[in-house]
Order: sequence, then C-alpha cells, then structure tokens
Amino acid sequence: MTPPPAEAVAALIRPAPQPPDSPVNRDLLAPLEGVSLGYFALLAITMAFVGAAAAVWITQVYLGLGIAGYKHPVFWGAYIVTFVFWVGIAHAGTLISAILYLFRAKWRNAINRSAEAMTVIAVITAMQFLGIHVGRIWKSYFILPYPNQRALWVNFKSPLLWDTFAISTYGTISAVFLLVGLIPDFAIARDRARSWRKLLYTVLAAGWQGTARQWKAHNRTTLHLSGLATPLVLSVHSVVSWDFAMSIVPGWHATIFAPYFVAGAIFSGFAMVLTVMIPVRRVFGLERYITAYHFENMSRFLLLTSLIVGYAYLSEYFMAWYSGVETEQSAFWLRAFGPYWMSTWVMILCNAVAPQILWFKKARTSVPTLFVLSVIINIGMWFERYVIIIGGLSREYNPAVWGIYTPSYAELTIVAGSFAFFAMNFLILLKLIPMVAIAEMKEISIHERAHGEGH
Amino acid sequence: MPRLLAVFELPQQVVDAVTQLRGRGYLDLETYSPAPFAEVEDAVIEKPSRVRLYTLVGGLTGVVTGYALTLWMANDWQIMVGGKPFSSIPPYTIIAFELTILFGGLLTALGLAVHARLYPRKLDGAYSARFSAEDFGVAVSCQERDVAEIDDLLRAHGAKEVSLLDG
Repeated sequence: MTPPPAEAVAALIRPAPQPPDSPVNRDLLAPLEGVSLGYFALLAITMAFVGAAAAVWITQVYLGLGIAGYKHPVFWGAYIVTFVFWVGIAHAGTLISAILYLFRAKWRNAINRSAEAMTVIAVITAMQFLGIHVGRIWKSYFILPYPNQRALWVNFKSPLLWDTFAISTYGTISAVFLLVGLIPDFAIARDRARSWRKLLYTVLAAGWQGTARQWKAHNRTTLHLSGLATPLVLSVHSVVSWDFAMSIVPGWHATIFAPYFVAGAIFSGFAMVLTVMIPVRRVFGLERYITAYHFENMSRFLLLTSLIVGYAYLSEYFMAWYSGVETEQSAFWLRAFGPYWMSTWVMILCNAVAPQILWFKKARTSVPTLFVLSVIINIGMWFERYVIIIGGLSREYNPAVWGIYTPSYAELTIVAGSFAFFAMNFLILLKLIPMVAIAEMKEISIHERAHGEGH
Repeated sequence: MPRLLAVFELPQQVVDAVTQLRGRGYLDLETYSPAPFAEVEDAVIEKPSRVRLYTLVGGLTGVVTGYALTLWMANDWQIMVGGKPFSSIPPYTIIAFELTILFGGLLTALGLAVHARLYPRKLDGAYSARFSAEDFGVAVSCQERDVAEIDDLLRAHGAKEVSLLDG
C-alpha cells in the first residue's frame, strides 16, 4: 500500500478555512476603515469654525453680552433661536428609534442609528447655547437644585427650570438609547478590528456575545426605553415651547405652541437626517441599505409635519384676528409686513409651501430634490424660531419700547460655529460607530434567507 | 463534562434543536445569535427578562423623587406670591414626569447591564466571530456517553458543523 500523498495529509491537518464574513458586516463596517484626504479637509474646516466660535465666546465672556447685540427690548437673540433650532433637530432620532419602533415600522432600521447619533450631537450643541446665552457663565450652575450656602432653592414654577430638567433628561436618555443599540454592533466590530480599535470596541461591547439571555434583556430594554422615550420626545419640545407660551408676550402666549413646536421639531429633524445622510450614503456606497423606499417614507413624514406646521401658521393668524386683542393683531400684522417681513415669508415659503412638492411620487423618490428640499426646510425652520422670538420681543405692548434687533458678528460666528460643531462631531462619530444598525439589518437579511427573497 | 458546539444557518433550526435538547433534559445550553430572533430566545428562556422590574422601580423612584424634591424645596424656602399656596402641583408634575423618565431609563440600562452580564469578563470558549457574522451557535453540555446521540440530534436539525469543545 502506498502512503497517501503529502498534500492530502497536509489538508487533513490544516485548520478548516474561516467562513467568509457576512456581507452586511463588510459593507457597514467599511466606512469606519481608513480616512481620506477629503475627510481630513472637512474635519479641519469644521474645527476651524469651532475654534473661531470658541474665540468669540471667550471674548464675549470677557466683554459681556453687549457684543452679542443684546439690548433693550430684545434679550433673547440668535442664541436662543439657535438653541430652539438644535433641540428641534434632536427630535428625529428618538422619534425614529422609539415611536417607529413601537409601531413596528421596519423601515426605520436603515436610518435609526444615524438619526440617534444626530440627536445626541444636536442636544449637546443645543445645551451649549444655554451656557453661551447666559452672561455670567460661572454662575450657570445656579439653575440646578443643590444644597447651597445661600440656603435657597430654585423656583420650580419657572419654565426655564422645566427646560433644564427636560433637556438634560432628553440628552441622557438619547445617549442611553444610542449606546444600548450600539452594543451588539460594537461586538461585531470587536470581532473584526485590530490594534487600538480592538481594545476600544472590546471595552464598549462589554462582553456581548449574542446569547439568548443577552438578546432577551436587550429586546426588553429597547422596548421599555422606547416606551419611556415616546412621551419624552413629545414633551421636550412642548416644554421648550412653554418657555415662550407661559409668558404674556403677544405672539407667544398661545395654547397651540406645544403641538406646533413638536411638529416643527420632527419636521426639521427629518430634514436634517436627509441633509446629512444623503451625502453619507453616496460617499460610502450605502445605496443598498438606504433605498428609495426609506426616502419615500421620510418624505411622507416631512409632508405630514409640513402640513401641521402650515396649519399652525394659519391658525395663529386666525386666532390673532378672531381674539379681537389689539396687541395680538398688531403683533401678527407686523410679523408679515413689519421690519421682519422677510424672515416671516422665508419661513412660510420654506416650511409650508416648498414641501408641497412631496405630493408627487417623483419628488419623493428623487434624491437630489430631497437634498435641496431638506436644506430649504432647515433654513426655513431656523427662520421660524427667529420670527417667533425676535418678532415677539421687539414688538411688545408699548410702541415706545419697540426696538430693532439685528444679529451681531459675534452671534453669527457662534451660530456658524454650532453648525460646524455638529458636523465635526458627526464626522468623528462616522469613523467610530457604524452609521447603519448592523444587527438590525442582519435581522432582515437572515429573515429573507429563511423565507426566500422578498418576504 | 464534554460540551458540544453546533453551527446553524437559520433561526428555525436553532429553535427546533433547542426544543428537542431541552425536552430531553439537556438544560445546560447556550445559543449565540447574530441578530435578535424572539423565537430563539423564547426557546431557551420562557420567562420575560427581569429588566422590566428595573424600569418599574426606576419610574416609581423618579415620580416620588420629582414630587418630593419640588414640594420640599418650595416649602423649605417659601416664596409668597399673592397669598397663593406654596406648593404648586401642576408645574411640579413636569419635573416629576421628567424624573420618572430619567430614573426609569437609567435603571433600565442598569438592568440590561446586570441581566445581560455586560461588564468586563472573558468571552465564552464557544463564542467566535462567526456568531457575529451570520451563523447561529448552540453550545450544550452532556455526559460522555451521550456525545454521539447529541451529535446526531444536532445534525438532524440541520447543523452544518458540530465540534467538541475543550474542557
């Protein structure tokens, strides 16, 4: 008997080849690998803007809020406008993760991660404006209820305090939501990464291995967090709106404010998801995962919330006229035809008129159209807050104390800096976390495999 | 005791195999899934996760804290406004609501960490990167004499590989 050939013996001893990695893992982890020159250039630009804004802010701390153009009667300027804008942007993430999760809307899987990441970044951006807006930053902790030498407590009847609680709760819960969802994906990255990334993801995955017990606890956590976050999403912008509606300023003192603000927040949040994700999808070739189907569903949300916002604009005018209160009537007249007419018409055209194009399927599925429209909506939503805040404060009851406000260079730099801060953080996260939830996409792909394509 | 690891491709195969194994009294088993599949999890553990208790306790703590904090502080430093009561329940409800969500959410996350054992520790010997790709794993401990039987059972349910783990 001849001995078997050496090759056959070697084949027996050789370890079995590793099965090929899942294509979903490969595609969705790819954006984390390597950085291009363009990425560095973008990061450098955003960092430069953030640096400029920081320099202006330090100057403002030194010289006082005068350099921000804060003068009688407008003491809430572009900072508060931008604060409300960013809180609004923060609404899409938790809406998509929590409310659409409870409704079992499967199309959320492709966009929930990026929207959650945007939420967390937007809340952090918004929170900074509370610090930027108060003149004496070193006393800003006075807003927190803690035992102190002054032996006094905060006033819980103030909407500003409700805001402190609402925004910090929202920021915390959004971050928890993002992290909980990321754990299985961190484990996927851990099993594939090398060097420092391996260490990072090992720590972040915290021993996740997808056992039945782990998934069971994870599903339950997601469900309960969604249940908790659903009323939270609706409450946060309601509380922000009460910052205005609880006062007696004409144009602010309206019961419609809470639903009006919530709809506006969801509207602007979805627009921001589109503005950010359309380029990301293109650059990283995620067309297979974020499809026309997702865009169409997001467009429908935009259309719905645009209609609610448009209805709120109309009903505000109706209430002002129907109330018979002269100050209300003149506030709204001046809104449309007074010194801030341009902002008002920008707001109406961008938020209520332009999105009507989404009635057409062609527009809903055309990515370039949606990109342009989402930018238009973002601009319109910033101006909406500008109209409400500045328009309200500059034209209160007594014409003798009316004034004109124009944002100063300091404010504009810091506002631009906030957009750069948002972009900078998103760019950094883009390289650290998978922007499409891998485990959730796999749930769909395995399901399809089990039941045949198109199930 | 020897431990066998079987690799499956579909969740339903895992469910069938696990149900059979548990029916025959092999209770020391563990599954590894790349994505959540309720049927797999229910086959291994029938009871709902304890995490739900954490949410309840957190939420209740939050609502009590919210009202207690506001009521106590308002009465510790009384601000007289037009002869109205010092305690003003409707605005305090907002604080209580926010704290309900905050404490409930944080405790739920703690529950996840405790019940999914998410803290620094070594991964199971049976776990490998393929279970974070697209394969499902079933690891089961059995007596030396049952190895062949379990091996047959696992393969009969569609296991594409069955291996004996060290230790």
